[in-house]
Amino acid sequence: MMARIEYALRETWASFRRNLTLTMAAVLTSAIALLLVGTTFLIQRAFENLLVQWRGDVAMIVFVRSDASPEQIALIDGTLRAAPSVIDVDKLRYFDKAESYAEAQRIFVGDPVTLSLLTPETIPTQFKVVPLTQDTDLVRSLADQYRTLPGVEAVALAEDEFEIISTLSAFVRTVTLIMSLVLLGVAIGLIWSTIRTAMFARRREIEVMKLVGATNWFIRIPFMLEGLLQGLIGGVASCAGVWVLNSAWTSGVAAFKPGTGISSLVVPSGYLSGVMLILLLLGAIIGAIGSAIAASRFLDV
Amino acid sequence: MIKLDGVTKVYGTDTVAVEGVSFDVAKGDFVFLVGPSGSGKSTLLRLMSREEVATEGDVWVAGRNVSDMPPSRVPFLRRSLGNIFQDYKLLLNKTVFENVAFALEVIGKPRHVINEQVPFVLELVGLQDKSERLPNQLSGGEQQRVSIARAFVNRPLIMLADEPTGNLDPATSEGIMGLLQAINETGTTVMMATHDHRVVNAMRRRVVQLDRGAVVRDQERGVYE
Repeated sequence: MMARIEYALRETWASFRRNLTLTMAAVLTSAIALLLVGTTFLIQRAFENLLVQWRGDVAMIVFVRSDASPEQIALIDGTLRAAPSVIDVDKLRYFDKAESYAEAQRIFVGDPVTLSLLTPETIPTQFKVVPLTQDTDLVRSLADQYRTLPGVEAVALAEDEFEIISTLSAFVRTVTLIMSLVLLGVAIGLIWSTIRTAMFARRREIEVMKLVGATNWFIRIPFMLEGLLQGLIGGVASCAGVWVLNSAWTSGVAAFKPGTGISSLVVPSGYLSGVMLILLLLGAIIGAIGSAIAASRFLDV
Repeated sequence: MIKLDGVTKVYGTDTVAVEGVSFDVAKGDFVFLVGPSGSGKSTLLRLMSREEVATEGDVWVAGRNVSDMPPSRVPFLRRSLGNIFQDYKLLLNKTVFENVAFALEVIGKPRHVINEQVPFVLELVGLQDKSERLPNQLSGGEQQRVSIARAFVNRPLIMLADEPTGNLDPATSEGIMGLLQAINETGTTVMMATHDHRVVNAMRRRVVQLDRGAVVRDQERGVYE
């Protein structure tokens, strides 16, 4: 068994060095494709930070003063529930101080100044309102009515706050996703081509191996490992790229004034690690797919 | 050791390479397959090593019917065969030692077995002093000896030789035949395709003659006609 493993690793490394130019092209393409995939993840996450408070068709948020009394909160709740033909009362949610604070931590992730001013005690609580109607004028007139209720600090409408961002987010997601998929396909094709060339260069060796009784798997494994290695190296390079991009972005965002909303577009390091892990796995998968197809298809040399 | 029963091989739809071939080869036999180019000698050897599959009939090799053998078993069949070719099929970037070791390495033999077996077999073929040479630093006869060493290092039950003296002068051919005879004397069955009448006539062993894909003569202690 050890002899087989030693053989597979030695041959993988030798072949990897032999086709260096084509290997570099395959690695570079995988790295760029994966970098784009990683960037898509990061952009999506950044937009989600902005849109987090509007998740689940929420179209209106009624912010309640942090010092509002329980009676005032009950009154607001009662008023919202008094319009069941306009407001989906089943989806009406009240975010208490703890929930509101948790959400604010995500929204102000890149804005430590604002975040430091907020505490679980001073943060406004909020009602998340999902309207049943598509009539924006009606929703707007309701909002005006709620602003006059005692204890209400402000009423925000999705229409004013996030529609442009939402459209932009969907556009960016579609474009980057399509580009990532195309480049991932190109990366698989290049790895396939590298392995095919490697197998062609060693066709005489493969012929002799088959004649002396090597199994197809024994012949295939070094080639498959080579493809896997190419994908993995592409994955590592893309991780480095994503890390550099994110660091530059985070420090760039810090230069913006607090409260502009740009500060939400920062990705926490835990999420970044998750993305990097996905990129490594994806790199290994595209390498394995490209080389497995080539190693199965071109074994009859 | 080898049994062919009504074997026919047709390439494409109408190119008949061999047709209705039947004969038996006992363990330890030395058999010459003779006949002009295109008579089906190489096809029969390729059918025995399962590089080709018979269109009709059964090919039994070392107790196994290779005609209906699943592809996954073929490598294990080949481990009981040694193949020798007219063009040697050596790996030009590997030394003599590495070429022979390769046959053991790819079937997963451990390094200590390789280090023991390869020098032994190189001595048997008389190349113990040239183990570090590359194939293109050797003569044709020496390259064929490396090829024989590679085929024999795994102690196969059967040696299949396809025109092994085809590229060699008479004196060198004699040396190669001596080697094949020595291998045969260890109990290995040898099946050799050739149209070199000198070696057939000198050896006087069993001769199976083919013509246009059919057996036209099967003679013990025969000569080339």
